[in-house]
Amino acid sequence: MKFLKSALVLAAGTAFIGALTLGAGSRALLAQDLEPDQILHPAPDSWPLYHGDYSGKRHSSLTQITPGNIAGLSLVWAFQTNQLATIKSSPLLVDGILYFTVPDNVWAVDARSGHLLWHFNHTTTEGDHIGHRGVAMYKGWLYFTTPDAHLISLNAKDGTVRWDKLIADVKQGYWSTMSPLIVRNHVIAGVGGDLDNLTGYLRSFDPETGATQWQWDASPAAGTPNATTGGMTWVTGTYDPELNLIFWGTGNPTPVLNGTVRPGSDHWTCSIVAINPDTGKLAWGFQPSPHDTHDWDAVEVPVLVDADFHGQSKKMLMQASRNGYFFVLDRTNGKSLLTSPFVPANWTLGVGKNGEPIPNPDKEPKPDGRLIAPDEGGATNYRSPSFDPKTGLFIVDARASYSLYFAKPADGAYGWAGADYGVWGKGMIEAIDYQTGKIRWSHEVGPYGSGAGVLTTDSGLTISGDSTGSVLALDTSDGKTLWHAGTGGPMQSSPITYELDGRQYIVTSSGGVLFSWALPPGAHTSEHPVKHTH
Amino acid sequence: MNRIRAVVIPVSIAGFLALQIGLFQSDKKPVHAASALTNSTSSGAQATVPASSPTPDGIGSASYAKRCAICHGEQREGILPAFPPLIGINHQLTNDQITLLIHNGKGRMPGFASIPSEELTALLKYLDSAPAMTPALTAGPAGNRRGPQLSGEAAAGGALFLQNCAFCHGRDAMGGETGPDLTQSKLVQTDADGSKISAVVREGRIEKKMPAFQFSNQELLSLVAFIRARETAAAAMKGNRRGVDVSDLQTGNVESGKRYFNGAGGCSKCHSPTGDLAGVARRYEGLRLEERMLYPRDAKSTVAVTLPSGEKVSGTLAYRDEFTIGLRDSSGTYRSWPVENIKYTVDSPVDAHAAQFPKYTDDDIHNLMAYLQTLR
Repeated sequence: MKFLKSALVLAAGTAFIGALTLGAGSRALLAQDLEPDQILHPAPDSWPLYHGDYSGKRHSSLTQITPGNIAGLSLVWAFQTNQLATIKSSPLLVDGILYFTVPDNVWAVDARSGHLLWHFNHTTTEGDHIGHRGVAMYKGWLYFTTPDAHLISLNAKDGTVRWDKLIADVKQGYWSTMSPLIVRNHVIAGVGGDLDNLTGYLRSFDPETGATQWQWDASPAAGTPNATTGGMTWVTGTYDPELNLIFWGTGNPTPVLNGTVRPGSDHWTCSIVAINPDTGKLAWGFQPSPHDTHDWDAVEVPVLVDADFHGQSKKMLMQASRNGYFFVLDRTNGKSLLTSPFVPANWTLGVGKNGEPIPNPDKEPKPDGRLIAPDEGGATNYRSPSFDPKTGLFIVDARASYSLYFAKPADGAYGWAGADYGVWGKGMIEAIDYQTGKIRWSHEVGPYGSGAGVLTTDSGLTISGDSTGSVLALDTSDGKTLWHAGTGGPMQSSPITYELDGRQYIVTSSGGVLFSWALPPGAHTSEHPVKHTH
Repeated sequence: MNRIRAVVIPVSIAGFLALQIGLFQSDKKPVHAASALTNSTSSGAQATVPASSPTPDGIGSASYAKRCAICHGEQREGILPAFPPLIGINHQLTNDQITLLIHNGKGRMPGFASIPSEELTALLKYLDSAPAMTPALTAGPAGNRRGPQLSGEAAAGGALFLQNCAFCHGRDAMGGETGPDLTQSKLVQTDADGSKISAVVREGRIEKKMPAFQFSNQELLSLVAFIRARETAAAAMKGNRRGVDVSDLQTGNVESGKRYFNGAGGCSKCHSPTGDLAGVARRYEGLRLEERMLYPRDAKSTVAVTLPSGEKVSGTLAYRDEFTIGLRDSSGTYRSWPVENIKYTVDSPVDAHAAQFPKYTDDDIHNLMAYLQTLR
């Protein structure tokens, strides 16, 4: 692997500034500052929110790195957190600085050199330390959720605390891992917590004062007879400024595997909901898993696509859901356009007229066990898919899997309330044709599954990873591998890309290390790619 | 929605504060909480004392027995994970807060709005009294008590467990999202000194997606103590055992299973009840047997490689990804090649198990299980 000398990077960077015309959104601000308009229209030299933009497509218009020259992609720098906690966050990039997290920790790193600017460590002794997806930013402030379900506002310049507010009560069993969504002057944060029978919710905070603006509850208050709890909100939603709606996936109902005490559909758990960001009022809801008994959170990214659907121009929402089904909705009203399985799924009696799968009661967990596809980890999980507009492909880290689900009266009706055991699984990156639900190509990534998120670019690249720790660059048109590099562990985050000083970077992670990749300076201007030096 | 929550939240906080007590102690005062229990162990009694006899207030204990014990346990030890212990509740809630809970209820806890004030006062006093015995959760394994030290150790381990392990293994270590029930784990059961548990925690189980954790030796000891305490508590559940028991997996039909084995299942193509499967039910039972039946994770594949020179190498498949193939030959030597430089064929008989998944009915599985259990 070729490591570049910093002097060379500086010289090369300077040369490129004049050589390349940057997009209209390019800014020359020196202070760390992010106005709402810059989140609405992200510049190529920024990745200002979790998904990169409000649509959740995780697709970049950058074209410097191409299928033709990616063989020369090299490591620019690696940043070591020196922690065992796995990086599951998407970094933000604002004004040349990357901000990323693991539980209790935020790092600000120079995106050009990979050197540390500041590190915020807020050790918490309570709450689940299962993972952390990253910070949000508004103007000069960062917003960081904690395992004990606080929302902390930090000064982006130095990581000092401005204020610290409660999202939820950790004593009840809540935690928080997610990167909040900023919509104008709303900081919208969600919660986790399905070890207990608790109501999932979204809460909106004032970005300046931290005052609560509204709260939307996914399920009735705990203790409501015959009603579900749950519907945690632990993955960042998306936003349509024209409709002024945020779209959010909600988690599983509780008790998790025992559905007998919560008859019916269990609204709005395992759902996709559309909510007004100013009022917190529900506009519509759609339920990928009505009456879930398999822990299939429907929190996966609700991707917003404006395109043709069977000859009609549509404002769509697409989700590859943990339960094995791919959904296309009309996001103006939540009506189904397409429901189609993308991996083996054996738990339904079919699909209802409303596009929602109909759960098979005999495939609920039973005392002597039921063989269920997919398993509890699901057909996909929190890592992001990507939508490539040119090919119309929805590309997702998918898993085929089988497992045994058990539940009996002794398991009770609180928290997990049953047992499940995965017996087999394998992973593949799948490219789904959103018009038909058909799998256009499938690229195997190893036993059990990889868990790496997906990024696509306008040049026709798909960036993801495999289960043994290789970063992969695939050709978006056919899924063939164009480039790879072993990083020592599977990617548990979703890749990002941006352009700085005229040079396109791709940032990935594995374990506690962040990697920045780019073409060697000058390589992309050459007709013939520079030979890759190992 | 906002207005309703404003009323609900204080009550629910109080209710769930109670849930945390004794479970994993308050983080604010871990030493205090642990020593409170320790004191009661040493000063209270080593032996079990009946609930009703030693308490100063007969009305309070009678009220507790009548109204609370069915859920919170005769000794206030709780029935985890659903019902919180109430020992030490006075360290967490004021009498006003407890009164509010008793009057209004919380979650599945009913309210006792009409409890006479005299009885309520006695009940509060009873709840404030020292417990008669150490709660199972914070105590060490039965028959292996090393005195007060252990309960503190297990409690400290419980706090670590909650932060790092509970998401997958369940808050009570009896299984949860992805992670197995540790109280029924063979490794836990056969780990006399905690070294096997410690090794797994330190190294992780990468192939099963369990991460490695960096704990100090003291922290590892406390985790082991906590898991032991959970094992003991689970064993005490007897007939009401959660999780998957051998007895749960007896719903199949032996004859149907035998037919499936020799027919539609295709099992007899590779396996024989008098050959490789002879005595299999003596080697494995219950869930372990069923998991192995469906997919034996440790099954070996072989690989035959032809090098550019024409040389042929074969052995046990040791590594495979998209770019590299590795094998261990008959001498135990590991060799690997970039796949583009060689030709190779992998023979994985275990793939037949994966191919069977879409074909099984649940009855097929239960019947096959019934048949395999006859191969003793």
